[in-house]
Amino acid sequence: MAQLSITSITKRFGETPVLKGVSLDVANGEFVSLVGPSGCGKSTLLRIIAGLEAPTTGSVTLGGVDVTATRAADRNLSMVFQSYALYPHLSVGENIAVPLRMRELTGLQRLPVVGGLMPGAKARRQRIASQVSRAAEMLEIGALLDRKPGQLSGGQRQRVALGRALVRNPAAFLLDEPLSNLDAKLRVQTRAEIAELHRTLGATFIYVTHDQVEAMTMSDRIAVMMGGEILQCAAPDIIYEDPDDIRVAEFIGSPKINILPLERSGTGLYLFGRSLEWRVTNAAPEVMQLGLRPEALHLTQHAPRLTGRVAHFENLGSEVFAQIALNDDALRVTLRATPAQRQMLGLGAEVGLGFDTQAAMVFDPDGKRLRKVEAMAGMTSEVA
Amino acid sequence: MTRDWLKHLILILGAIIVLAPFYMMVSYSFKSPGEIDRGEGGFFGRQEMMIDPRCVALRQPDRADIEAARSQFPGQDDAGVQSALLAETEAACSIRPAVFNYTKAFTEAPLLRYLLNGVIVTVSIFLIQIVVALPAAYALAKLRFWGREAVFGLVLFCLLIPVHAIALPLYIMLAKLGLTNTYAALVVPWTISVFGIFLMRQFFMTVPDDLIDAARMDGMSEFAIVWRVMLPTAIPALLAFAIFSIVAHWNDYFWPRIVVTGNRDLFTPPLGLREFKGDGDGSFFGPMMATATVIVTPLIVAFLIAQRRFIEGITLSGMK
Repeated sequence: MAQLSITSITKRFGETPVLKGVSLDVANGEFVSLVGPSGCGKSTLLRIIAGLEAPTTGSVTLGGVDVTATRAADRNLSMVFQSYALYPHLSVGENIAVPLRMRELTGLQRLPVVGGLMPGAKARRQRIASQVSRAAEMLEIGALLDRKPGQLSGGQRQRVALGRALVRNPAAFLLDEPLSNLDAKLRVQTRAEIAELHRTLGATFIYVTHDQVEAMTMSDRIAVMMGGEILQCAAPDIIYEDPDDIRVAEFIGSPKINILPLERSGTGLYLFGRSLEWRVTNAAPEVMQLGLRPEALHLTQHAPRLTGRVAHFENLGSEVFAQIALNDDALRVTLRATPAQRQMLGLGAEVGLGFDTQAAMVFDPDGKRLRKVEAMAGMTSEVA
Repeated sequence: MTRDWLKHLILILGAIIVLAPFYMMVSYSFKSPGEIDRGEGGFFGRQEMMIDPRCVALRQPDRADIEAARSQFPGQDDAGVQSALLAETEAACSIRPAVFNYTKAFTEAPLLRYLLNGVIVTVSIFLIQIVVALPAAYALAKLRFWGREAVFGLVLFCLLIPVHAIALPLYIMLAKLGLTNTYAALVVPWTISVFGIFLMRQFFMTVPDDLIDAARMDGMSEFAIVWRVMLPTAIPALLAFAIFSIVAHWNDYFWPRIVVTGNRDLFTPPLGLREFKGDGDGSFFGPMMATATVIVTPLIVAFLIAQRRFIEGITLSGMK
């Protein structure tokens, strides 16, 4: 168990920069997810933490010790791979025992027949066997110890990979999209089990995923990565409700956040030419973007801020998502409604939309959050 | 249907062309010289008792034999005794052709010694080839280093060089080192198999990187990864390579003929066949074919045993 911190890590593969100065501190026992679209560098970052890849610049410290130059095996980290990476020729028990055998037995003691005769080997082998069976019990794979990985289902292989990771009692667990090869139902179940495992062990987990649901449900903190940078690293609810960057806002949340063009003329703000009651100073940019989560929108007949036609809707039972075409289909926004409101949402129906001022977010044209503008407009101060 | 029929016909013709020499070899190994010369007797020959002419020639009764045997044949003159003795010798020297051929194969030349040499040479070559090829293939497939593509290009280039083109320089080098007529001369030139490196590299390319990273996380060194992770997963490919390597060097006539000059103790099985080449006293096709049969049998048996996995290895579908 240890505190982990990475400081201004950069990595280039040839001329291509993959990581552009990433810093992250992970507290002891914390569960941090690295989430982002494919190619954002999250796996590379994990491999650098693991020691499988050397950073171009920057450093990795583990429990206060700089391990940037330490080889992977000596960092005492465990990694679970997307493909599980079990040794196909070894049984489940042997697979789990490998890290212990490599660490605790000498080269001579590992020899097949002679090894058992070496002094001290027997006791150590017994200790390893008991650790393996304890890990197997914990993951409920005790009955599978003699099977080969080829004879196991995806979920069972996943557990064996977890077993191999936890048997060595590592300083931190690194998980690289461990659920992406499982079917949807098993994924939900395993998600809960990994979160539970984290609570039981109290160990540091760093979890790489491209699936925002996994990140949202399991983590203490989420680091959203894009283009080789961490855009924001915060607790899931903050990432969702108070994103720093439009890319974070767009990546997290399903259905996606609605982005509408916001224009400033003088001190007034206009949405599709319709004036809003907010007032700002000339310091604000002339063109901005307004972010509205689907649940921030609501149907209203009374002085609607937006009007449009229902283009499509999806009934999920507990909630209804409707796509409303604004301005003759120039832009579509997604609205979350309750099933009771379904009658109002017939296809092609004209509807008026209002939104919660406090839930609206303003971004500059480059996507940076404009908290100052929001404050000026009194969008946040209403609460205070 | 017609297409199938045609396909089978072509395949059968091909099979006949390939199998005909084997058929002749096995058939001749059963027949008497007379039957071979006249081309009769079907596959097995008639297996009539035949007289070994050399055996008779060696035991030709001389003056002393006739004197000593005179008491056994009372009332006969010398010519009578001689012909009686001759008949006895011929009876003692008569033998079934199949037995004759196979006995000759093992007695005329130290065939067992040759077979042993063949095993020593092919197994040494194969083991050293693996020791060289596996780490090389691993490095070429999975490690990133400067010049890797160039090195792999060299490997491919070496595949294009025919053995016969470099035989003379190799021979001269070995001769200068004083290694001709040793096992080393038979083994050393073959220890680096570019084909083996290429084949194993192609197989290793299919092994997921995650597996190697997992091994590194578990604390294995790069060499440990080669021998404890890559080797066990590469068994099918290795078997395919084993067949290529062992067949090539077990059957090789060219190279042993060049570097083994005279010392019969170092003869490999194909060199042993030369012992039966036609001398002045007539052909020895029967024993020669018996020897050939004995030589190829181990290979055929090994192939049949490894057949399934061998084909797996060729198609490189060993993983999953």
